[in-house]
Amino acid sequence: MSERLARFGLPLAVVGLLALVVAVGPNLGLRIAGSDPAPAGRLIEVLDRLPADPAVLVGFDPDLGTYPELRPTVRTLVADLLDRGAGLSFVSMTPEGRALAVAEMARLDRLGAPRGSVTDLGFIPGAEAALVSLAGAISGQRPAAGPPGLDELDGTDLAVVVGGNDLGPRSWVEQVAPRAAGLQIVAVTPTVLLPEVEPYRASGQLAALLTTPGQGAAFRERTPAGSFPALAERAGPSPAAIAAGLLVAAVWLASALLAGGPARRLLRPTARR
Amino acid sequence: MRRATIPALVIAVGLLLFADLLVVNPALGDLAGVAVAAVIAVAAGAAIATGTTLAVRRGLDLWRRRGDPVGALAVLLGMAAVLVAGLRPGSAGAADPAVGWIVAALIAPIGATLFGLLFLATLSAARRSAIRGGREGLVLVAAALVLVVALLPIGGPLGTALSGVASWTLSVPIAGVFRGILIGIAITAAILATRTMFGIGPADE
Repeated sequence: MSERLARFGLPLAVVGLLALVVAVGPNLGLRIAGSDPAPAGRLIEVLDRLPADPAVLVGFDPDLGTYPELRPTVRTLVADLLDRGAGLSFVSMTPEGRALAVAEMARLDRLGAPRGSVTDLGFIPGAEAALVSLAGAISGQRPAAGPPGLDELDGTDLAVVVGGNDLGPRSWVEQVAPRAAGLQIVAVTPTVLLPEVEPYRASGQLAALLTTPGQGAAFRERTPAGSFPALAERAGPSPAAIAAGLLVAAVWLASALLAGGPARRLLRPTARR
Repeated sequence: MRRATIPALVIAVGLLLFADLLVVNPALGDLAGVAVAAVIAVAAGAAIATGTTLAVRRGLDLWRRRGDPVGALAVLLGMAAVLVAGLRPGSAGAADPAVGWIVAALIAPIGATLFGLLFLATLSAARRSAIRGGREGLVLVAAALVLVVALLPIGGPLGTALSGVASWTLSVPIAGVFRGILIGIAITAAILATRTMFGIGPADE
């Protein structure tokens, strides 16, 4: 009975507890916005420097697992760009990214994004080759291959890369930046990619980068509601739900350390099996 | 013969793209464009072949009543739904609203839900690893525990201090190790590419 309880009862109880916290959603004075507001400030500076009615290419390749971490920030960023009169062209190089892009574009259409402000460039296979083709189109060359609309990317003012999948900001910096001189690239990625993309922010190859929920929350706090409040997801995830999830994880891991006798095991060599 | 042809192709295409990056020349650009288009076409063909292989495999599973028939049926029905929506007469193809609905209302939420369950699966795996003992597992779980506590979204001075600890941990030790791994992978890839270009295989060692 206890084994069955541990196998099925505990996970169900955890899911139930988290669902309850998400549903009730008490704030409890918790706060996601991190202590470092600089990344959000840098992104806002880049956006402020854009010309009127900028042409923005959105490389949309998050993955299904980590996209919920980015979603509120991405939606707020898209709403802010539309508020600045931007024309957004969505393109994906991964199937997962394409699926999520379709969902996001359907949402924009449903919630009243201005007609003609969003262009669907679809999915381009070929990974790095697709990025090379895209870079050629941005720099005014006739695209070697790709969907209709690719030849209208000449004069793109900004590339927004929504990362998470294989073809994230690193691939854009490697393949697109050298071929599309002057193009500014900003990125929103999940925390798990921070070690990979942080050097590109430090070197200036990424004009701005948001990588953690705290940085995303800081951006959402500093971005005005604008003309499309319905498009932005300003609230973000419930801090209480995040805290509850982290506490569950902490208790679970701590109990494992106690059950495993960490002091005893750390002091003896790893058992060979 | 095969060993000579593949490296020659790799060298030719690689040099062509490299020269196109360095030299502004319309003819060279067109030639590089053809190479890039060929790579994109091959990738698209490979994706279609992968999908077809999956359908055939699941179809055979269903026909021979082996493996997971319910899962095989679900895969085939899902593929059929997308194909019918995208290829039926009058459809706009991949941009058709019916395809969009299947992707946005079914595939994306189902996929996100499955990934959401990784929360429990990852925790369970970490717990089992710690309970089974082993120094590496314990260190891993202990480090995860510290970071989880540091990531708690608490306000005030304590929250700011914890957030600073989390940021430092992510930006310095974890990023350092991760970058070291990435540099190692890049060096290995460069060596592998050089060996491929010169046609050096295990038989030459």
